[in-house]
Amino acid sequence: MSKLTATRLETPPGPVTRHPSKKPLLKRIAGGGFIAALPFLAPALAAYVVFVIGPMVTAVRLSLFEWSGFNADPQVFVGFKNYVRLFTADPVFWTAMQNTIVWVLLSLVIPTSLGLVMALALNRPIFGRNLFRSVFYIPGVLAPIAIANMWRWMYNPNYGVFSELAKAWHIGDGSGVTFLSDPKVAIYAIFAAFVWQIAGLNMVLFLAGLQSVSKELVESARLDGANSWKVFRHVTFPALRPTVVVVLVLTIVHSIKVFDLVVGMTGGGPAQSSQVLALWSYSQSFLQHDFGMGNAVATVLLAITLVLVIPYLIWSTKGNED
Amino acid sequence: MSTLTLGRVKHADGTARPRRNVDYVRVGLWLALAVTMLIWAMPLIFVIFTSLKSEAAIFSTSSFSLPTSAEWSNYAEALETGNLFTAGGNSLLIAAIKVPLGLLFSAAAAFGLSRIRFKHSKLVLGAFALGSMVPIQVALGPLFKIILDLGLLNSPVGVILPYIGFGLPIQIFILHGFFSAIPKEIDESVRVDGGGNWRLFWQIILPLSKPALAALFILDFVSTWNEYAIALVILQDQGAQTIPLAIQGFQSQFTSSYGPLNAFTIMSILPVMIVYLLFQRYFVEGMFSGAVKG
Repeated sequence: MSKLTATRLETPPGPVTRHPSKKPLLKRIAGGGFIAALPFLAPALAAYVVFVIGPMVTAVRLSLFEWSGFNADPQVFVGFKNYVRLFTADPVFWTAMQNTIVWVLLSLVIPTSLGLVMALALNRPIFGRNLFRSVFYIPGVLAPIAIANMWRWMYNPNYGVFSELAKAWHIGDGSGVTFLSDPKVAIYAIFAAFVWQIAGLNMVLFLAGLQSVSKELVESARLDGANSWKVFRHVTFPALRPTVVVVLVLTIVHSIKVFDLVVGMTGGGPAQSSQVLALWSYSQSFLQHDFGMGNAVATVLLAITLVLVIPYLIWSTKGNED
Repeated sequence: MSTLTLGRVKHADGTARPRRNVDYVRVGLWLALAVTMLIWAMPLIFVIFTSLKSEAAIFSTSSFSLPTSAEWSNYAEALETGNLFTAGGNSLLIAAIKVPLGLLFSAAAAFGLSRIRFKHSKLVLGAFALGSMVPIQVALGPLFKIILDLGLLNSPVGVILPYIGFGLPIQIFILHGFFSAIPKEIDESVRVDGGGNWRLFWQIILPLSKPALAALFILDFVSTWNEYAIALVILQDQGAQTIPLAIQGFQSQFTSSYGPLNAFTIMSILPVMIVYLLFQRYFVEGMFSGAVKG
């Protein structure tokens, strides 16, 4: 990860108040301190506080109110009522929660290991390497909503690729497949599109990480008679560890954000079986005009994210001192 | 094909590893890669095929069969009914304003955090970094309310503002890493010459960071072009739609006109594909510079 080493270890000379500085005031400001940094930080801080941090705080606040989302209607404070409803009387919330968790767990394994295998295979001069890389990576630059439509078409029960294959190979009863309309399968069918979308992204990250593996070390391990697996296990993989951490964190972040794919492929159906937290929050707020419930789901989503991500942030700011 | 080249390589370097089985492993690996690549390309190929077939051909021939004649009328129909030009114009306008402006904000902030020393700068950086990890959907309800109160619903500005906010964290993070790697002695020499922070920023740091800035520019263009959730909430009129909204709108309106639908999908991803093919280098570099340093 690009190191979070903002400062050197010695404490920075902040605006000095304790002892009179020998430098004139202007010099001090130009040389450092928060006052000097402020003009550079101000636009970003303003945009960030108003449009990112502010709304997150507001989401938590609104989760304690009952409100339709229309400015004409009043916001009524109800305390934790929305949460009680969510946890006890909203089965869809638990479906969404389960799907989100399954999604995170599956994506920590499948697209990550796939990306690693692709990277290892393409980390050597090989005929057509750039074409391979591009084809694997391109899905990652397409709009997820476009990917959703492509895959929806592939899953088409009458004319889609999968139905055709099932018929050709006599899988099932010969009438093709209906992945997206099967409540048991729909979420996994969407997940397949997700794997297609991000495996190449992980491949590129791993390829970047593989650049940092010392060639000498690999060579000398080979000369010592280590086989490919041993080299990977004792030389390559340890050097890849920081990359692995980055890929896993990014994967978790991507998984929790999944929204477009589900909207475009099933809209959360059939019978809410493929709901995920991000979409359920949106649906409650904007389709059912229940901002209280929608923001309660959003707050749960926020809490899950923070629990998963803050340890990593602390680790990366602390553990990477130059 | 590859077997031939591999064979040649084997004869060429009689010194390295002339063991025959290595070649078989390599050929096997290459074949496995080729098969995987075909699988990976299939969704795109399938969509392209469908977009060029007449309705009759879609219903009667196999999905895997080549289109017998290119049915360009699908594209014409998609253009006519799909709001593509309006949406494309909106998407371009939004990206043209958001991307440079957002990058300038990010670069300035990253400069302030990496080249100017002050207490708790790390904390500020951490606060920014956190924002790159929180799902946008958490903020959708409140964002809608803010933009509504500002009277900016259905206006490009109404999405540009949140886009700038949500685009900052990852860019600041990457640029901070990049700026920090530039030797600090440069700052000293600029200051000795009597130059201030602004001069250092404009004349030294930014020009030195061109590769990272270019990479971020391209990556940000793509993610701005593709963004769906915020646009969905803020841009509700058809005239204000961006490309992703138009895709979804077309799909819900013309559920079963498969030819035009797939033609529309192709046209909507074309700009991003072209950007990718032209600036491939930057995609990789952008991820390299940001993501992975031990």
